[in-house]
Amino acid sequence: MKLLALMKKEFARFFGDPRLLITMILPGVLIYLIYSLMGNAIFGGEERYAFRVYVSGESAVVDVIDGAVTQNGWTAEFVYLPAEGAQTAEEALEQVQSGQADALLVFSEGFDEAIAGTGGDSVPTAGLTYNSESDGSAAFAALAGGILENYGRPFAFTVSDSAESVDFARSMMAGLLPFLIVIFVFSACMSVTLESVAGEKERGTLATVLVTSARRTDIALGKVLPLSCVSLIGAASSFLGVILSLPTLMGISVDAAVAGVGALGYVMLFLLIVSVVPLIVSAIAVVSTLSHTVKEASGYTSVLMILMMVLSILAAFVSGIGDWAVAIPVLNAVVSMQSVLTGAMGVWQCLVSVGLNLVYTALLVFAIARLLSSERVMFGK
Amino acid sequence: MLSTETPFSDFGEEVVRAENLRKTFTLSRKQQRLERTDLPRKVAVDGLSFTAQRGEIYGLLGPNGAGKTTTLRMLSTLIRPDSGDAFVCGHSVVREPQKVRDAIGFMTSDLKLENFFTPSYLFDFFGAMHGLEKSALAARKRELFGRFGIDRFAEVKVRDLSTGMLQKVSLVVSIVHDPAVVIFDEPTNGLDVLTAKVVTDFLAELKAMGKSILLSTHIFSLVEKLCDRVGIIIDGKMAADGTLAEVCAGDSLEDTFFAIYRGIKGVTV
Ligand SMILES: Nc1ncnc2c1ncn2[C@@H]1O[C@H](COP(=O)(O)OP(=O)(O)O)[C@@H](O)[C@H]1O
Ligand SMILES: [Mg+2]
Repeated sequence: MKLLALMKKEFARFFGDPRLLITMILPGVLIYLIYSLMGNAIFGGEERYAFRVYVSGESAVVDVIDGAVTQNGWTAEFVYLPAEGAQTAEEALEQVQSGQADALLVFSEGFDEAIAGTGGDSVPTAGLTYNSESDGSAAFAALAGGILENYGRPFAFTVSDSAESVDFARSMMAGLLPFLIVIFVFSACMSVTLESVAGEKERGTLATVLVTSARRTDIALGKVLPLSCVSLIGAASSFLGVILSLPTLMGISVDAAVAGVGALGYVMLFLLIVSVVPLIVSAIAVVSTLSHTVKEASGYTSVLMILMMVLSILAAFVSGIGDWAVAIPVLNAVVSMQSVLTGAMGVWQCLVSVGLNLVYTALLVFAIARLLSSERVMFGK
Repeated sequence: MLSTETPFSDFGEEVVRAENLRKTFTLSRKQQRLERTDLPRKVAVDGLSFTAQRGEIYGLLGPNGAGKTTTLRMLSTLIRPDSGDAFVCGHSVVREPQKVRDAIGFMTSDLKLENFFTPSYLFDFFGAMHGLEKSALAARKRELFGRFGIDRFAEVKVRDLSTGMLQKVSLVVSIVHDPAVVIFDEPTNGLDVLTAKVVTDFLAELKAMGKSILLSTHIFSLVEKLCDRVGIIIDGKMAADGTLAEVCAGDSLEDTFFAIYRGIKGVTV
């Protein structure tokens, strides 16, 4: 009951101030603008591709892919091996590597019968090799990979990139995106949370609540929960900004982008953002509780922000971080987002990150409650 | 409603009983400079004992820095005594802080209301903070807002209220839960004469409603005007304690105070 009244009051204060609402929605718009502009500048907008794809083996999936390509307004020529230009898969691969062809699809023998359950008992396999140095090849891989990934019936699917060096611009984008999300989410959280406790201390309105018989944990939760909800509006806006900019980023249509990251990928991205928000909110709330004035709080929060930036930049530029990254708040979310975006998503990695973020949040809420009962913090001069 | 009808039996006529309260603060470098001392610790309240009676106004009188605010904060459970204990309506401030908070209304000029809300909203909010039912709350709001002339301003945002009206609203909100004891730190400090009168009238009204009041002040006239009992507190210790007549013994309160002060400090003021 008391918690409910505390939460209601926080919401009432927020929704009575339209300026705050705008600061929440702005981040998504910014992400969208930045990425659309950058994407267009780097990749020159949407291309009209004519793919040349080698196919070894046979499958009806090829027709599905062809349909999707046509839907995107592109064309594809599927060349079955052995062909005049390439006799073997090795030769086809060389052409993909040198940029003469866009991709190589390899299906095991009797692929369609096997996945329909009428063939032999060995596991059917499908392989996709592309070259991320070529925009066209990457676009085809995103499209075909998405379709194969979601083709449903059990078969082993492997994607390989034949590029000798990773396309710098593209990897920068994929690496930087989670970093940007964290920064935008952080500023969304900061704009509502920074003054939450310190401001009330400064104005003398917190003590008025502290002299009532409301529990300190209720008072702490009464701050963190509503502020998280409000910050989530900002996070959702950032999330939308990301989804809408992905197509430009990958140089493909929205459908193809959605297929590329996959429905599960989007769910994971969303969960990661949702779990990071209360974590950041409660971290800033701790800082706000420790500070005597809003000015002091904003000083400490910039330190916190720098720490976040270091953590996420670390993830963006240091590749091959070990599993231990999952245990570190924020870093875990950045690493998981990256792996979702590059298609190497580990569901467990994401879920563990989400779970741990919630645990850290709970701990921080208890810390706030403890601080609220500390006379040094509340009445120290 | 709540406490006025509870039987006297468990704590008798003594609504507040402080027993050997002691509170020490660790001083930071900056505080040491401000207090002009090299000692790392400051004894703010030093073995304070007194009792306040039901239906009376008890005044803690002392100079700045005597330990009045610290004492009242211990009584209202905002800070914990280092040693000793105090009982408010029979509840220990150390062991049952939650119960004490429901039994008291604590007021000081440090406690502010949020500008953004209306008196009516804040009354309901603080009612909820004390766990009051909606229907009981509505009845109490009607009664108190009527009694203190707030009804016409019930839906005006706090930031648009006059100083006097704002003061009334703060006072009324702090007794939303009908506490048996009202604790008031420096009731008229920093107020202009008109607002100060709102406060003293309010205290007299509370007494008429049968509340017990404990206040602190450094103003002699306020004690003489309002208080039944007075405790003179100097350097965290109780220097004199009793009814106004007992403590003054025919002299004015001011003369009595300085006589005691000279006796303790050994200086002429
Ligand atoms: N939080 C604190 N930290 C350090 N010293 C304090 C603190 N609160 C009060 N004091 C010191 O304790 C003494 C008593 O203060 P206080 O109770 O506010 O006196 P009064 O209310 O009678 O003016 C003063 O010397 C004051 O400086
Ligand atoms: Mg004081």
